[in-house]
Amino acid sequence: MKLCARAFSRRNLLKNLGVAGAGLAVAGWRAGASTLAQEPGGAKPIESFTGPGVNPHWNSLGPYLSEPGKVPLILLTDRPVQLETQRHYFQTAFTPNEAFYVRWHLDGIPNAVDLKEWKLRIEGKVAKPQAWSLSELMQKFKPVSLAAVNQCSGNSRSRMQPRVAGGQWGNGAMGNAVWTGVRLRELLEVAGVSSGAVQVQFQGLETGQGPKGLGSNVFLKSLDITHPILDECLVAYLMNNEPLPMLNGFPVRLVMPGFFAVYWMKCLTWIRILDAPDNNFWMKTGYRVPDTPRGNTTPEEIKAGKVKTIPIERMPVRSFLISPDGSSKIPAGMSVTLRGIAFSGFGRVSSVEISDNGGKTWRSAQLGEDHGTYSFRTWEAPWTAKSPGKHTLAVRATDEKGNAQTDESVWNPGGYLWNRIERQEIVVGNAS
Amino acid sequence: MRNRLSAIFAGICAAAITAGVVYAQLKQSVYRPAELGTMQQAAPAALSTDAVYEVSAYPVPALELAPAEGRQDVQIYCNTCHSPRYITMQPPLPAETWEAEVNKMTKTFGATIPDESAKKIIQYLQAHYTPGTRNN
Repeated sequence: MKLCARAFSRRNLLKNLGVAGAGLAVAGWRAGASTLAQEPGGAKPIESFTGPGVNPHWNSLGPYLSEPGKVPLILLTDRPVQLETQRHYFQTAFTPNEAFYVRWHLDGIPNAVDLKEWKLRIEGKVAKPQAWSLSELMQKFKPVSLAAVNQCSGNSRSRMQPRVAGGQWGNGAMGNAVWTGVRLRELLEVAGVSSGAVQVQFQGLETGQGPKGLGSNVFLKSLDITHPILDECLVAYLMNNEPLPMLNGFPVRLVMPGFFAVYWMKCLTWIRILDAPDNNFWMKTGYRVPDTPRGNTTPEEIKAGKVKTIPIERMPVRSFLISPDGSSKIPAGMSVTLRGIAFSGFGRVSSVEISDNGGKTWRSAQLGEDHGTYSFRTWEAPWTAKSPGKHTLAVRATDEKGNAQTDESVWNPGGYLWNRIERQEIVVGNAS
Repeated sequence: MRNRLSAIFAGICAAAITAGVVYAQLKQSVYRPAELGTMQQAAPAALSTDAVYEVSAYPVPALELAPAEGRQDVQIYCNTCHSPRYITMQPPLPAETWEAEVNKMTKTFGATIPDESAKKIIQYLQAHYTPGTRNN
């Protein structure tokens, strides 16, 4: 910030940049900032990579990095920024903003937004193109709130066998928040979608160094104008009743409940109504999954070129044991509480079950408060380990549509849709 | 005098026994030296009341890439669009995957890498970041 402010007059910089009136300033990268890695509590640091086998850890492996507006999170990549949330932040139904994971596609992300200049625009095949300031969005439209999970399409990619290239996420590329903002449908109605409209395209302030027209220059996502999910979308300016962190999309981001985060455009600035299907890289090539049950296929089928793909959409049902996390022993005979979360992009979580014999037998966990269909649902269950030894806990969830987690793994070349039953080994020690 | 000596002797014995019992129960007060301050807290930002909402520059920590032929090409060309941490973050990948990744960067994403350098980058990745070759 200091570098930026000293080198240029801030106002002139904003004026000169004038990126379509968005008023964003992308400050220079500060190279060689402090290398992190304080040694963890007397222990050896974790290994620097895993593979070619499965990453056996709950989270990914990077060191901790403290980014603006964030507590130290696990660093996957620094430019563009990708940060994973540590397991213990999922003890509660809502993920704190400062610990919420971060995933950008291109390196040009804003360090500053000038709300005098910034407007949310609707353009293209509409009767009346619109441009609203943040204060107009807050004042002209009724605020609506909903709880919804935001999960990266590639969450848990490091579980896949064979491993696939891409962000090597553990399980922490997800978070849950109460999002407050304006209904997308209301904004579209004011603009008046013209007949002949085919798709609606979303674009934020993110830009890349690649040539114009390619996926390395601009990140765009689109949906059919008739897609029913558009009725459920929000343009959110509040996240857990606070402004969005810059790294999570200040000033507004699209909220598409139940859908993977790729559609939740950060720093949403352009809503474009198209008269032809969007064939940009991020629709035609990226973020596609096999049109098969659970998006599963094999490297051989991909090589044979026979796999039909479709754009990724809703999140399959998942559940996680958050504590105990296996990092310390439990004395035999002690009664502890197992705690975790569950969610599904297809509907409310209807049951969570746990097993302490690796999945041979199951019993029900108690579900926590219901914050809405697309929220994390906390769960807990008492557990007593009777004998010393290694015990394998497993957790599985079922949603109201009857979708249940299974023990089958998932593989596809993008590394998407992982939702296999999670397991945790717990070491129980002698109590006398 | 004799009584006094026995009392002292008894006291020393009791202390030794207690110490032995405690030692058997606890491994205590083990400390080790460590680095402090390699990850500093951020100072509070100076905020103005205008309409500009700003955060500090995003940090780009130094990264160790295998010191070998081709590293400079990686640092120049890969680094144009993304930090080479995209390489070290990956699991060891098969040689043909690295070739496909570099080709994706040039063909799909339009990276302007001279053929000679693209070849060197592929060879570098295959020589240091595959299951058989990666060691850090």
